[in-house]
Amino acid sequence: METYTYVNIFETKGLEYLLLISFLILFAILVRYLSTPPRDR
Amino acid sequence: MIPSATQSSSGVRRVLRFLLAEMRPKGPLMTPFNMISIPVILLGIGILTVRFIYGLGSVTNLSQSYPWGLWIGFDVVTGVAFAGGAYVLTFAVYVMGVEKYHPIVRATVLNGLLAYVFYAGALVLDLGRPWNVINPIIGNSFGYNSVLFQVAWSFLLYMLAEALEFSPAVAEWLGLKRLRNFLRSLTLGAVIIGVTLSTLHQAGLGALFLMAKPKIHPLWYTEFIPVLFTVSSIYAGLSMLIVEGSISHRVFSDQLDASKHHQHNEILLGLGKGVAITMFAYYFFKVLLFLHDRQWHLLASGWGAWYLVEVLGCVLVPCVMFISAVRTRSLGLLRVAAVWALVGILLNRLNISVIAFNWQLPVRYYPSWQEIIVTLTVAFTEIWVFRWIVVRMPVMREPHELPHAAPSVVRATV
Repeated sequence: METYTYVNIFETKGLEYLLLISFLILFAILVRYLSTPPRDR
Repeated sequence: MIPSATQSSSGVRRVLRFLLAEMRPKGPLMTPFNMISIPVILLGIGILTVRFIYGLGSVTNLSQSYPWGLWIGFDVVTGVAFAGGAYVLTFAVYVMGVEKYHPIVRATVLNGLLAYVFYAGALVLDLGRPWNVINPIIGNSFGYNSVLFQVAWSFLLYMLAEALEFSPAVAEWLGLKRLRNFLRSLTLGAVIIGVTLSTLHQAGLGALFLMAKPKIHPLWYTEFIPVLFTVSSIYAGLSMLIVEGSISHRVFSDQLDASKHHQHNEILLGLGKGVAITMFAYYFFKVLLFLHDRQWHLLASGWGAWYLVEVLGCVLVPCVMFISAVRTRSLGLLRVAAVWALVGILLNRLNISVIAFNWQLPVRYYPSWQEIIVTLTVAFTEIWVFRWIVVRMPVMREPHELPHAAPSVVRATV
């Protein structure tokens, strides 16, 4: 009988959750990055 | 005071004289743009005459397998996405109160209005029975079950809303100060209605393709096409503003004072920031849908490579370019990125409506030269009208005061 493996991120849609979480973090970083003026060299 | 009949007729004559004077060309006729566009427009009119006499088959390569070609794929579906800048900018300026972008709002609204009149109007060219275009409006056959019913009403009402948003400039041009003030008081309402309608029909254009699931390649088909169309129209519209704004700024520089030149650069960089953030969200949305539909195996084909060209090459790459341009304040890079993003939108819309549509059929559709000429005719005519209006009406000029020595009797009667 085929067993369901909870550690398979493809089966559990874990990849999609990880993508969404990384998107939210990266989105906040991007907005902050674009909003702060570049430092003078 | 109510003017006498003599005064009124004199006023009408003055208006007519004023309008006739405005019809005369202002500026040189033999410019490179005119030299190219005039023959194309004349040829396009000839082709359209043939099309309306002998039908679509006489000038297009459309068939039962490919009923939608360049005229729908580029003029309507892509053109409307390019016009998305108007609803984004008016929302930012009038609803959110971001005054920084106020100097370009009139040019943007004018551009959006003309884009809808010409590009959405091009829908008529592609209808086998163009006289039926009025049916969803007059109720001869509403067609409630069709997405086109919503698109048709949205297009019509949005054009009216945009005309209302631009109408104060026309009143200023005619010297009608009280009418101008009245029309300006309607602007906020028109903007709110316009933004609502715009998001509706941007999504509606995408929803047109939902019924074509068996025909569209699975890499491009998703039930979220309406959402993707709406999100991408935001950055398409803003990118168009960067390109169009850069060109207008150069061509109509005589209408801007020196302080506006520096302000213009800041506006472009601000728009670039908005594009970068929107493209970033759009890119992740595409990746999420790709993962959700488990389409890894589809990448190992020519269609997969073509899909990667669109998503990586024409979304991710320009997104990174925008981020870099904003951080380094490079206007050159910003403009290149904007053109690149527009090419990406063009590719996306053509992929869904033409290239990846009926992808499994052995016979392919290629637009005829007549279709290309007519598409150029539509674009060139829009530019001609845009230029005619900008030269005469207070579109670029700030502040928007009454610049013309307009008929005094008319001023007194309104």
